[in-house]
Amino acid sequence: MKQCQALVQEINEVSSYFYCLTLEEPYLAQTAQPGQFLHLRVGNGIAPLLRRPFSVAGTSPATGTIRLLFRRVGAGTELLSCLRKGDWLDCLGPLGTPFSAVGKDPAVLLAGGAGVAPLLFLGESMLNAGKNVHLFYGAADAKALLPVDRFLSPGVLIHFATEDGSVGEHGNLSDVFKLALDKGLAPGELFACGPLPLLRVLANENRRWVLPMQVSLEENMACGVGACQGCAVLIKKDGETLYKRVCREGPVFNSSEVVW
Amino acid sequence: MSSLKTRIAKLELETPLLTASGTFGFGDEYASLMNLEGLGGLVVKTITLLPRSGNPPPRLVETPAGMLNAIGLQNPGLQHFLEKELPLLQNLHIPLILSIAGETEEEYAALAEALEGCTGIAALELNLSCPNVKKGGILFGTDIVLLGSLVEKVRAHWTGTLIAKLTPNVTDVVHLAHAAARGGADVIAAINTIRGMVIDITKRRPLLGNRFGGLSGPAVRPVAVKIVYDLYEAIKLPIIGMGGIMNTNDALQFIMAGASAVAVGTGNFVEPRTIPQITAGLKEYMEKSGIKDLHELVGAAHES
Ligand SMILES: Cc1cc2nc3c(=O)[nH]c(=O)nc-3n(C[C@H](O)[C@H](O)[C@H](O)COP(=O)(O)OP(=O)(O)OC[C@H]3O[C@@H](n4cnc5c(N)ncnc54)[C@H](O)[C@@H]3O)c2cc1C
Ligand SMILES: Cc1cc2nc3c(=O)[nH]c(=O)nc-3n(C[C@H](O)[C@H](O)[C@H](O)COP(=O)(O)O)c2cc1C
Ligand code: FES
Repeated sequence: MKQCQALVQEINEVSSYFYCLTLEEPYLAQTAQPGQFLHLRVGNGIAPLLRRPFSVAGTSPATGTIRLLFRRVGAGTELLSCLRKGDWLDCLGPLGTPFSAVGKDPAVLLAGGAGVAPLLFLGESMLNAGKNVHLFYGAADAKALLPVDRFLSPGVLIHFATEDGSVGEHGNLSDVFKLALDKGLAPGELFACGPLPLLRVLANENRRWVLPMQVSLEENMACGVGACQGCAVLIKKDGETLYKRVCREGPVFNSSEVVW
Repeated sequence: MSSLKTRIAKLELETPLLTASGTFGFGDEYASLMNLEGLGGLVVKTITLLPRSGNPPPRLVETPAGMLNAIGLQNPGLQHFLEKELPLLQNLHIPLILSIAGETEEEYAALAEALEGCTGIAALELNLSCPNVKKGGILFGTDIVLLGSLVEKVRAHWTGTLIAKLTPNVTDVVHLAHAAARGGADVIAAINTIRGMVIDITKRRPLLGNRFGGLSGPAVRPVAVKIVYDLYEAIKLPIIGMGGIMNTNDALQFIMAGASAVAVGTGNFVEPRTIPQITAGLKEYMEKSGIKDLHELVGAAHES
């Protein structure tokens, strides 16, 4: 982990409120692993004050670039969206514990909304490792849906779900995924990231599926490096419950260890 | 050559810049981001006799020019600290200041007793923003009698430098500083966080898991500077000033108000190199202004 000044190579709005930010920073590009995040200084002043965490959505070690995908939701992401090519961005990273691919083929990625970012990086790296990968990606409607195929090499099987049925299957992500299971999809392991209610539903259903499942969680952060204990989530391990830090032991946790 | 050396009671510091308790862990998290030996001293996060699991999340939220936190003193407890953390910290060649807290006077006293004689601990800092469970949960730091008696008990077991860290959540901090001085404290640190609350309007509930938390960051700075200014007029003990220090000018305000040393808390989260930057900035300021000794600046804002 280092503090780096990254050069903005490209930024564009890829769907409504969704931005793709490409940064040039060889150290980050070469060391970041899927599931890890960067802690960004989004402004120079005291409003917004704290850094903002964003998952790494992809890297290109050869060109020394790293990609983030973020949704504009407040003052911090508004400032980020105003960056221009040639600007510098202060980053801490790579931070946190990455996903670990341990299970059998095929790997199924379950992404809701902005939660797709770390799973695109994971999908790409698993594909390169010769795995079969499915991505289930859900959003409210067509406008909110990212053109994810742009960020993945051909080979990942993408299943879209929209709540209004405008693109892909009609329904929420967990229903669409369940339908695929009924039709015979047999995942070796699951990786999920997205809004907490979605993760709760998936974790609950997984008590029946009993598949290895890792989730990437979010919590408000201050330091991002493990010093302040501010990003705690409740985890159960060996019959004990205790708080773990999303920025350090996380953001990736085994779903069965999270106290939902 | 200007000298940043300062002294708080018996403690000699190479620079007046300390870390604020609870914002810098036990130092190891920041070791890869800066040279820890450039710190004037390391104040580690508050430890208690037994491990504490802390408050339910969310534990923090940003507020205008600041943040609220309700960590709940999560820490691994004295035993773990002595076995796992202290040996690493002893290898650092900077003064180590240990912050302690308890729910009863006896817990504070037991901590002081266990730490007395440990090599490598330059000072004890009493975190007084803790509820006294035997007195219906009233904070030690908000009651003159409780505070005086607590400092006295700890003093009986600790011969080294003793710092009383005051809470600003009282009508008049000066009375409490006097009580700490009478009890035997050598140094006053101020301020700890100011209590505050944010309501989540979508849930119609307080946002923090603990309902309320402590405000820190630039938002509290004017409050903190005034408290340090008042303390300097009223008491003879050296003062460690803190609250919203982000840069050299902020640190200078505290020093001129009367602080012999300053601590950076929330600023570390924003810019991990805040302390090294201020250290360089202070040196530059002093050289430019022809000031040889930091003590010429301490309390400079007061009419002599
Ligand atoms: C480990 C980690 C990885 C993350 N990765 C990504 C990522 O890859 N892409 C991405 O877009 N975001 C990601 N986030 C979330 C991102 O950090 C927040 O959206 C961002 O900090 C919001 O900052 P802001 O100043 O714009 O909004 P704030 O001013 O902090 O919040 C503005 C409003 O947005 C709401 N809000 C805040 N966070 C979220 C959220 N996560 N979702 C929906 N509403 C929210 C708040 O409740 C508030 O109403 C990640 C968070 C964590 C902890
Ligand atoms: C996340 C966080 C945790 C803190 N934990 C402690 C603590 O354990 N003990 C303590 O005495 N003060 C604690 N504090 C208070 C700080 O040490 C400091 O007094 C206060 O934050 C004001 O300084 P600042 O504005 O520079 O942060 C904490 C503050 C923050 C923000
Ligand atoms: S954000 Fe400080 S410990 Fe995780």
